[in-house]
Amino acid sequence: MRRRSGNPGSVFPGIALVGGLLAAPLFLPLYHVNLLTEVIVFALYAVSYNLLLGYAGLLSFGHAMFFGTGAYVTAVALAHLPGLSVGSAILLSVAAATLAGVVTGALLLRHKGSYFALLTLAFNALFYAVATKWHSVTGGDDGLSVNRPNLDFLGVHLDLSDITTFYYFALITVGALIGYCWHFTHTAMGRTVLLVRENEERMKFLGYDTNISRLLLFTFTGALAGCAGSYYALFFEFTSISAISIEMTTTVLLMTFIGGTGSFLGPVLGALVYTLLHDKLSDITDRWPLIMGLIFIVMVLYVPGGLSGLIVSIRERLAGTAGKNAAQPLEGRKP
Amino acid sequence: MKDNGRILEVRDLYKDFSGLEVLAGVSFQVAQGERHAVIGPNGAGKTTLFNVITGKYKPSGGSILFQGRDITGRPPHQLCRMKISRSFQITNAFQELTVFENVRSGVRCLHGLRYHFFRRVDRDVAVNRRTEELLHLVGLGSVADAPVSTLSYGQQRALEIALTLSTDPELILLDEPTAGMTREETAEAIQLIDRVTRGKTLIIIEHDMDVVFSLADRISVLHYGRILASDRPHVIRDDQRVKDAYLGEG
Amino acid sequence: MTQFAVFVLHGLAYAGLLFLVSSGLTLVFGMMNVLNFAHAAFYMLGAYFSYSILQWSGNFWLSMLLCPLILFVIGALVERFLLRRVHQHGHLHELLLTFGLAYIITEGVKWIWGNYSLAVSLDGFLTGQVSLLGITYPVYRLFIIGCAVAVGTAMSYVFYRTRVGIIVRAAVDDHEMVNALGINVPLVFMLVFAVGAALSGFAGVIAGPLLTTYPGMAAEILVDAFVVIVVGGFGSLGGALLASLIIGQLQAFGVLLVPKLSLALIYLLMAVVLVVKPSGLFGEEA
Repeated sequence: MRRRSGNPGSVFPGIALVGGLLAAPLFLPLYHVNLLTEVIVFALYAVSYNLLLGYAGLLSFGHAMFFGTGAYVTAVALAHLPGLSVGSAILLSVAAATLAGVVTGALLLRHKGSYFALLTLAFNALFYAVATKWHSVTGGDDGLSVNRPNLDFLGVHLDLSDITTFYYFALITVGALIGYCWHFTHTAMGRTVLLVRENEERMKFLGYDTNISRLLLFTFTGALAGCAGSYYALFFEFTSISAISIEMTTTVLLMTFIGGTGSFLGPVLGALVYTLLHDKLSDITDRWPLIMGLIFIVMVLYVPGGLSGLIVSIRERLAGTAGKNAAQPLEGRKP
Repeated sequence: MKDNGRILEVRDLYKDFSGLEVLAGVSFQVAQGERHAVIGPNGAGKTTLFNVITGKYKPSGGSILFQGRDITGRPPHQLCRMKISRSFQITNAFQELTVFENVRSGVRCLHGLRYHFFRRVDRDVAVNRRTEELLHLVGLGSVADAPVSTLSYGQQRALEIALTLSTDPELILLDEPTAGMTREETAEAIQLIDRVTRGKTLIIIEHDMDVVFSLADRISVLHYGRILASDRPHVIRDDQRVKDAYLGEG
Repeated sequence: MTQFAVFVLHGLAYAGLLFLVSSGLTLVFGMMNVLNFAHAAFYMLGAYFSYSILQWSGNFWLSMLLCPLILFVIGALVERFLLRRVHQHGHLHELLLTFGLAYIITEGVKWIWGNYSLAVSLDGFLTGQVSLLGITYPVYRLFIIGCAVAVGTAMSYVFYRTRVGIIVRAAVDDHEMVNALGINVPLVFMLVFAVGAALSGFAGVIAGPLLTTYPGMAAEILVDAFVVIVVGGFGSLGGALLASLIIGQLQAFGVLLVPKLSLALIYLLMAVVLVVKPSGLFGEEA
């Protein structure tokens, strides 16, 4: 009877997914392995965003400021610190994004709802402006190229310039982080965040400092986004101002919303669908952002639960158990 | 703390909402272990008084002392950790979550499991045991896994009490715990309150006079934002001003 | 001294434009409690429509008349068929919708008019210079200031002095009460949103000859308009006015004194307001 013991039905698809991802380079052409690496990087970005939007109910239009900070720190650090290891570059990015999260969070989180959304957008614009103007460091509009160093860790030597090797590197490290995020949603902090969204007043009267919990979460998701940004820089071996632009925030918003904010893996699905659509559509037409925008609006209007919400409701309808799981989306799990 | 046995002292408390004065100099004291009822006609400021004592609103003037310490204007979460807890007139829970998780959220806060990034909330034996104890205490053991929104009215009121107790308070403030209940339900609820608040200090807002006079050690009568009288039940019963203001018609 | 006066006027002209943009934004927010991220996109549409109308007719006054009308209709349609639909899903979805709309409009503009800058050229007396007290100054910038004053006056008159304004303000405070009085509240909201869109369209027309008309113009003004709202206080017309004036001057003198940091000045102002008075200069404490 005890709560939250994993639902056995959900374990098998998980194993199949992990197995499939591990085996992917065996049967996929390199082009698609590369694409899958991009999906993995964006999956982390989207998962971090959904912890903010789906779990805490905080709509931010400024997530790219952390993503971009991570991307730039990695690029700049690798360019200026010879011999810097991949791991250290990533950690530096995370540290910088964490710092940015604490400082901006302290200012932004004085407000909620629309006001918060507006401020995040304004701050994202500030980060963007700094990146554009601070030419000596960021290269301005020209961007920065990134030398992806090889991995030397505990005697293991990996040639990360190899597409497949980098894929496995990203899959394992980012996969572990996403796994931790899943664990996070069950931790004291993860539940606190959800409960604050549900009923902030009661949480205060139960002894929680809801401002602290919001700031901690905001900073945490910022750090995760910074980490994703660092992988992004390593993946493309390039950092441009687009990494820190409002468009990069829009990207993560689209991914997360299309995948569905009501489930943990929804944004991962969203990252996959978005990246594949982007890949296919941008070959066919220059107007793909317009098409993405239209898809987004249609989903806001008709499918607010996103693809994962759609899958859940179809599965329930097929099983004839509609209504039984009415409280599920709020639980924010259910892979 | 044991200075003259007072656990709570409210001194000359004022609260106005953009000019509308709801509390106009409220003063009263509550002794350690006492059961103190606050009565008064609708709009007398009873709930506002609770809101100011428990930190939901900052007072416009006056001070509040808890165990001899000034707690005026402190935020609710600090007061909660100082062992003051309150219930709400309208059930204020996490509607879509299970009864168990509702109560556990208070229990785990007490156990320091608030913002931990690694420890899972559902694996802490002490927290789970304490949560189950509380649920059985208020008679919700059988619906522990149900979402709050599926509970009956009486069960929701019981949950409200369980939530209030979940942080293990010394001073408990209950805001009309029996509102909307039938006579039988009220009797049951009062028995429950009597049981769970033994050894603690209780302040209760209540309309049912039978309940008030059977439960309370002392009664304060709030009228137009002022304390009209604060005394033992039999004195209040015979107080002419109280009769005029309130009890006469009841 | 004359240079100083010129920069003050520059600041005033930009303040005028900012006020035209932010007044519509703050009107919709104050009335409907909807923060319209598509507001600046409407403004951009105004500028582009104006460009096309000028191409076609060569008459600036005609575009000043037509563009707000077109945007009014667009605004009404958006409210009626999109915004109202997501209202029940709550605040978050309204924000997402307007954000998505802004995105689509920007992409649509790139598609129709191309992803480059367009020059809007005027003729007639608006292109001239005027000399006053030893200062020579472009007529068009003075014209912007005049427009802002006219719109501001009209708005505050309608809002605080007429029956319509009273109804609108009452509808915000007590939806059902006003409904019960036989006033069609959904219609009122539709009109308010449409007026907001028309105002931004008007601002777009005005901005065309002053700034460049390009697909990034929406994002550019949106941030400044947001800063105006943060500094002035959400939903406050007076606040929007004061903040526009401050930011206009900051912008003008920032460019003069610390050209590299002019943008930083505006953010610095916003940060200071956020720390010292989070609800803005004219905002009510929550």
